[in-house]
Amino acid sequence: MSPRFEATGLSRRFGRVQALDNADFDVDAGEVVALIGDNGAGKSTLVKALTGNLDLDAGEVRFEGEPVHFATPQDASRLGIEVVHQDLALAPHLDAAQNMFLGREVMRPGVLGHLGFMDTPQMRRRSAQAFTELGSAVRSVVVPVGSMSGGQKQTVAIARAVAWADKVLFLDEPTAALGVVQTRNVLDTIKKVRDRGIAVVLISHSMPHVLEVADRVQVLRLGRRVATYRGADTSVEELVGAMTGALDPKEGAA
Amino acid sequence: MSTSTGAGTGTSTAPTASTIETTAAHGNLTDRVKAMQSVWILGVLVVIVAVFGVMSPSTFLTTGNLTNIAQNVSIWAVLAVGMTFVIITSGIDLSVGSVLVVSSVVSAKVMESMGDSGWTTALVGLALAVVVGIFWGALNGFLVARAKVPPLIVTLGTLSVALGVAQILTGGLDIRSAPQVLQDNIGYGRLAGIPAITIIALVVVVLGGIMLHRTRFGRYTYAIGSNETSARRVGINVDRKLVQIYALSGFLAGIAGILSLAQYGTTTIAGQSLTNLNVIAAVVIGGTSIFGGQGSMFGSMVGLFIPAVLQSGFVIVGVSPYWQTVAVGSILITAVYVDQHRRAAAVRGG
Amino acid sequence: MRSNLRFTAAGLGAALALAACSTGAPSSDSSGGSSGGGNDNKNIAFVQGVAGDEFYITMQCGIEAKAKELGYTVTTQGPQKFDPTLQKPIVDSVTASKPAALLVAPTDVQAMQAPLQQAAAAGIKVVLVDTTVNDPSFAVSEISSDNVGGGKAAFDAIKQAKPSGGKVLVISTDPGVSTVDARVKGFEDAAKADSAFNYLGVQYSHNDPATAANLVSSALQKDPDIVGIFATNLFSAEGSATGVRQAGAKDLTIVGFDAGPNQIKALEDGTVQALVAQQPGTIGTDGVEQAVAALTGGSVEKKIQTGFTIITKDNLSGEGGQAAYKSTC
Repeated sequence: MSPRFEATGLSRRFGRVQALDNADFDVDAGEVVALIGDNGAGKSTLVKALTGNLDLDAGEVRFEGEPVHFATPQDASRLGIEVVHQDLALAPHLDAAQNMFLGREVMRPGVLGHLGFMDTPQMRRRSAQAFTELGSAVRSVVVPVGSMSGGQKQTVAIARAVAWADKVLFLDEPTAALGVVQTRNVLDTIKKVRDRGIAVVLISHSMPHVLEVADRVQVLRLGRRVATYRGADTSVEELVGAMTGALDPKEGAA
Repeated sequence: MSTSTGAGTGTSTAPTASTIETTAAHGNLTDRVKAMQSVWILGVLVVIVAVFGVMSPSTFLTTGNLTNIAQNVSIWAVLAVGMTFVIITSGIDLSVGSVLVVSSVVSAKVMESMGDSGWTTALVGLALAVVVGIFWGALNGFLVARAKVPPLIVTLGTLSVALGVAQILTGGLDIRSAPQVLQDNIGYGRLAGIPAITIIALVVVVLGGIMLHRTRFGRYTYAIGSNETSARRVGINVDRKLVQIYALSGFLAGIAGILSLAQYGTTTIAGQSLTNLNVIAAVVIGGTSIFGGQGSMFGSMVGLFIPAVLQSGFVIVGVSPYWQTVAVGSILITAVYVDQHRRAAAVRGG
Repeated sequence: MRSNLRFTAAGLGAALALAACSTGAPSSDSSGGSSGGGNDNKNIAFVQGVAGDEFYITMQCGIEAKAKELGYTVTTQGPQKFDPTLQKPIVDSVTASKPAALLVAPTDVQAMQAPLQQAAAAGIKVVLVDTTVNDPSFAVSEISSDNVGGGKAAFDAIKQAKPSGGKVLVISTDPGVSTVDARVKGFEDAAKADSAFNYLGVQYSHNDPATAANLVSSALQKDPDIVGIFATNLFSAEGSATGVRQAGAKDLTIVGFDAGPNQIKALEDGTVQALVAQQPGTIGTDGVEQAVAALTGGSVEKKIQTGFTIITKDNLSGEGGQAAYKSTC
């Protein structure tokens, strides 16, 4: 059976810089794959290419075995693929429920709905349910997101993405700038999302966090995948070595 | 919503849905009003009214005077509805006064040429004023959203252009022939003792408030002002919404144009010069953030009454006109200062 | 919530402080007495066309002096701009304060009709000063300068300086202001009647000195041989003087209307050659006299026209200097 989401031979050049050089990638359902690499290794270029934010020079992307092409992020959304960007893209003045359903509001039935009236109670109820299921630290769906802690904001962004993405979830540096307790909540959330059968791709600089939640770790260097490890079998030293090129592992070690 | 969200995760030790707050912090209406941004400024208004009421109870707190105040803010109230939407998107509309004038000029000119002074003429005039208003508003919106010219510049430009067009159309001479039915029924008519113009303004304000606070259009207005990038990422057509929001402001300026014609019986080409600033001040005093994302229709209305009540009260107790401008300016700055602090406190979780 | 309360308190404090200002304000001399009503009501309200204009200040001085003499108190109000949409709320509030009499300079013949009629209907004796409305029948008296005569006087002043004739231009404020229209008409009639002069018409400055300056410098680009300009009011004259200076034109006679400190300065500097001064003080004095006459059952004159003083450099130290407007009483 083919992986849920995979890419082979991706290449992209910006002027004289070869940002992606024949890179491969794959993630399966119910699995957390960490994507690591030094700055400039091509992590964000790869994520952009996989989510319809960037055109490719060469390469093939397959979703559940079928070749796909995403011209816009909305194309990826339609297949159940969402990204939680580092800036979270939340509207700080709106509350958690309003953010959760922004752009996808549930309308009142009948004439009122056609007039543009929203079904606020239902959106709040469903948001609360979503947060509960993720075991999130969010205690209210009716206070502005701007007044929440960094960890709570992160959970809102993840919950929003998960609510619409039941296939693949990309998380860009979700624990940067978070405290210890908040980081713990976010990592727990990631595990819960995985346990629901969603493929999770985690981009992070924090090796301990990567080792805690990742089932597999894929290392990018100079625009290509240089190594893949099992999260349970590897160590910080090994990962750092692979990232910097000090070790020269073979592709597909896992 | 994905189907998986609906399926409960039985093993979860997390709080159940019922422990997460899903209703506005406090249930009953009084508490909800208390939680609003504009509540402290309402307190200020109440204090001002009380002070003047004590100083001259037999004149200030009369039905006649309060009715006059309400009547005199009616036209600004209609404009403030549109301005609230625009400022919540973190925009600004300086052109409302000029658009009001040009709408009333076009409509007065056509009504004059129809020669008749009845309701048909008045309705044609209203339709024209509204069309002219929407045109200028949509032009503002197009230039802001598509041409990416800052709203301050765009509307400063259309302020001037629209006024110029009004002067060209009339040769600078006010048209003083508004249909009698407009002046008698709208401008000076009353229903149950309340000026008709105030009732019309109230209807516009209530509809505007519902639109802002209850509909998806209003939600997107907040979203654009709060975080435009995020609004775009979730698939909101931000450009189209901005055109619609500025067009709404123009539409309301068109309605205000007809109301002004009804109230003053003339096109006030040389007047309305401070209308834009007065309306912006009211909206900002009412707690709408000039940086976008925040504000309420109720607040704008309170903000509109503060300068009006101050002016009326100052005139009645006999304070020099210079002190009135000092007072309104001070309240504007105080309002924004206090609001900033409240907001900072809210972010700190205080 | 604690901090919310604190800020609410701060806001209320600010409001109270503002309200407290009112008791210390300079012209609140009538405070407390405005609700008298009946025969012992000795309050006169004066609503200016625009606050801060020397013409209206001089009128206010005349009003206050006469009122004091007759035992009345005066409260003066005025809009920030010469704009009926700003003046109407003020008149409405004045009406609510029920003064015995209201002296008012209406900012629009149509727009101010209804609010002033309402004031008269409330039993207030309304005296129209300087400007008027379409149907002034509700007013006890109208007092203004003979503006047509003023316009003619301005033309005579130009003719005196430029006997050989030439092109003449008028810079006015806005059309629709009755007094100003009359001045323009007086000037126009006199200019057209004299074949030596070529009347170029009127340009509107919208009461903005900068606009007037632009209009004049542009007109001088088109017709460098303009010999005379009549500026119909304070701001138009100030702007015209600037415009002439900007264009570097010389040997041109500017006749201003009104005689505020800046015009007197311009006259002293030689930028303006003559000023047609109204007598706002007299208008004010007459206004109070008529209002009091109406209140006490004396005989009232329905319409009074006041005269002019022509000020030139030559009479500045004497009669002309006394006719200059004041910026304080």
